[in-house]
Amino acid sequence: MSQPRSPEGRQEKRPAENPARELYARRLMPAGRVLVVILVTLLAWTCLYAPTLKRAAEASRLGTRRTVSLALLRPIAAVSDWIGFNELAGSIERAVGRDRGRPGGAFVPPPEDIPLTPEGHDDPQGNGGQGGDGNGNGDGATAEADSIRAPTPDRKLRVAIVGDSLAAGLGYFAERVFLPRLVRVSGQGRISTGLARPDYFNWPYTMHRIVDRFDPDLVIVMLGENDHQSLETAHGGREAQIGTSDWPPTYRERVLAMMRIATSRGAKVVWAGLPIPADFRLRDHSRRQNEIFEFAASISNNVAYFDAWERFREPGDGYTAYFREGRRVILVREADGLHFNAVGYTILAREIAKLAVEEFGLSPRTFQTKI
Amino acid sequence: MLFPTVDFAIFFVLVFVGHWLLNHQSHAWKWFMIGASYIFYAWWNWRFVFLLVGVSFLAQTGATAVARTRSPRARLVVNGIAVAALLLPLAFFKYYGFLAVNATNALASLGIESSIPLIQVVLPVGISFFTFMAIAYVVDIYRRDFELASWTDAFLYLSFFPHLVAGPIVRPNELIPQLRERRDERHVDVAGAAWLILGGLFKKVVVSSYLAAQIVDPVFGDPAQRSAPDAFFGILGYAIVIYADFSGYTDIAIGVAKLLGFQFPRNFDRPYAALSIQDFWRRWHMTLSRWLRDYLYIPLGGNRRGARRTDVNIMMTMILGGLWHGAAWTFVFWGAYHGGLLTTHRWQARHGLAATKTTETKAEETKAEETKAEETKAEETKAEETKDGWLDILRQRAATFALVCVGWVFFRADSMETAFSLLRRLITGWWTPSESLTPLVVFTIAGMLALQFWPRGFGLWLQSGLSRLKPAPLGIVLALAMLVIVILGPSGVAPFIYFRF
Repeated sequence: MSQPRSPEGRQEKRPAENPARELYARRLMPAGRVLVVILVTLLAWTCLYAPTLKRAAEASRLGTRRTVSLALLRPIAAVSDWIGFNELAGSIERAVGRDRGRPGGAFVPPPEDIPLTPEGHDDPQGNGGQGGDGNGNGDGATAEADSIRAPTPDRKLRVAIVGDSLAAGLGYFAERVFLPRLVRVSGQGRISTGLARPDYFNWPYTMHRIVDRFDPDLVIVMLGENDHQSLETAHGGREAQIGTSDWPPTYRERVLAMMRIATSRGAKVVWAGLPIPADFRLRDHSRRQNEIFEFAASISNNVAYFDAWERFREPGDGYTAYFREGRRVILVREADGLHFNAVGYTILAREIAKLAVEEFGLSPRTFQTKI
Repeated sequence: MLFPTVDFAIFFVLVFVGHWLLNHQSHAWKWFMIGASYIFYAWWNWRFVFLLVGVSFLAQTGATAVARTRSPRARLVVNGIAVAALLLPLAFFKYYGFLAVNATNALASLGIESSIPLIQVVLPVGISFFTFMAIAYVVDIYRRDFELASWTDAFLYLSFFPHLVAGPIVRPNELIPQLRERRDERHVDVAGAAWLILGGLFKKVVVSSYLAAQIVDPVFGDPAQRSAPDAFFGILGYAIVIYADFSGYTDIAIGVAKLLGFQFPRNFDRPYAALSIQDFWRRWHMTLSRWLRDYLYIPLGGNRRGARRTDVNIMMTMILGGLWHGAAWTFVFWGAYHGGLLTTHRWQARHGLAATKTTETKAEETKAEETKAEETKAEETKAEETKDGWLDILRQRAATFALVCVGWVFFRADSMETAFSLLRRLITGWWTPSESLTPLVVFTIAGMLALQFWPRGFGLWLQSGLSRLKPAPLGIVLALAMLVIVILGPSGVAPFIYFRF
């Protein structure tokens, strides 16, 4: 019989003195003790990481899972803090240069830092340099022009793409559509964000920073897929329960505030509505959100609404993952029935650019129409 | 259910307790593990549990029919029907959309309106893996390499959760005998398992996630605007990302199985240290390579029908292997590219042009010979290294790695245009400023490549030291290691790349 192989593939002899208790110089353990190891590991890790786990649970979607998680994690986090574990974990995080305050809960690839352009200025308070209350209510728009300026290679057009994971994907692939010689695209999509939970991610604040630093000529906004929930305030209080009559007007105010901030330095805005989702249970709510987006765009200056639902639906108002371009059929949606694939985002970016040509006089030579 | 999640940690503690409590009651233990494995699978989408049950039922029914058939010709037919039946769900879920779109567009180009329904079929996680294991089970019984197993053994073999969603592709004779034996609850290799699990977590959560977000996704997302250094390190980065992601998952799977007292075969053996493209395929996704060899290449005729037919068989095997990874022309190209490299390597060897003597022999033909080939591989490599000199070895390794990286461009790109656009940037992108390249990206790639040349026994001393700790201190050390991994990684966990295959 051949000798057993080690995980590294090397054949080794078991130690002769006690073949049953050791394997490749590793001491073996009874299953009961292994259970103790596993439990101690998980308990110690939970204590060490409890504050971050608690923050992630607080940021997660409202529901039973969140309630149970918080009920378990709050006392553990308190004990961890009292013992000083919290400080130990914090020291390790600081040592590796990580920001403890950042939101968790979902896979978040680092978004691009908001670029600082010659026209922009850095305002760490995020007040937009415009005064007002931080929600876009203030002295408002400054330089307004009828159409988007014509770019040159020396003075490129600045396009910011803002929103949730749909915007993150759109930001990646918009760079394939807009010509880099004339357009500087800044992808500012943040996965798992929306307007419902400023306690988790504060979009008005971030929008201010984008406007101040990047001073975009065109802002493309696409968000809302994570807003099928009650509306919280930035401090964690409930503002409007989902399903009540308070929800639509409160949400509309938030959308209008975003539009005001985005246009506050003269940028044009294309607000892309939600595309039809495969899950029919989400459709009614998404449709109502789109009505709010469209209405808000219609009463705002310099804002156009892009109807992604209409553009990517089946003729019979059903969901389809495919897009017909002439005779050609192209798969454009991901299997999750919500997001787009690479080709889909590219087509979406091109369609939005076409709308910007119609609505804001965007120069057609800034993007390519062939996909 | 993903391995690196709190959900899985809770699930595993419960399964671990049930597993060892029922260790003495074989029948109850098997049903418990089948139930646990189905819960593990249902966590992602409960509807597809019925598919897993269906494939298991098909496999066992087919295997039973093969085992009960006496006549060789009838056995061949029954085996063929069983394999075809097992491939049908895979073909539908994986290739329907691809075929429907291509057929519709081909007909449209001829001016014919297609009536093929265009539906998007959701791909069940792990379908390729459990289908391949089911085929291995039926074919091994047909070849009389393995005896018909009981229904519970067959169902548990196919659904056993550590290998269920992304392998390794375990052979029936490697796992089913282990399912029949009682595990030794007094001797669990906790240090070896912890080493594999933590190493796998580090590769997945830290290395793969970091490089993917920092350089690979931006470079492959918009290759036309990238600088040549960005493109170069984006390609190298993807080579590391896919290795860290997939081998990380496999390490966790093997470690989890080890905690339950099971041994899984290795799936990776420092693939980027390969001396030739053939050597690469002995080191990369080893359980898939041997599956393709035993259940596709050899049935096609292997190398028994002359050099030309061998090359055709290699090309067919690699193209189908490419298509196994995904329904897209980029994967077909990737498979054909590797098939081309392998046949070129064989041609060079036949004409004495290969820099290193090929070790491809009749080891491809039988499993017995394969075992011997695996055992002697290390010695052969060492002998070749001594003979050829370090500069030659370095050149061969660099050339092999470069060829593999070119293949990865097509594997990762969302279209052929994207792949060629990225390769073009390696030449034309020297005047574009770099946007994604940082010293840490270069250091991470270099460090992971350096690990490919680390001695095989690396880490044994650390495992030995860990195993000598008492349970409580060991638990605290492991918790601290997990904390560092989680802190170094991004928030949350991206899905494993191989889940979609």
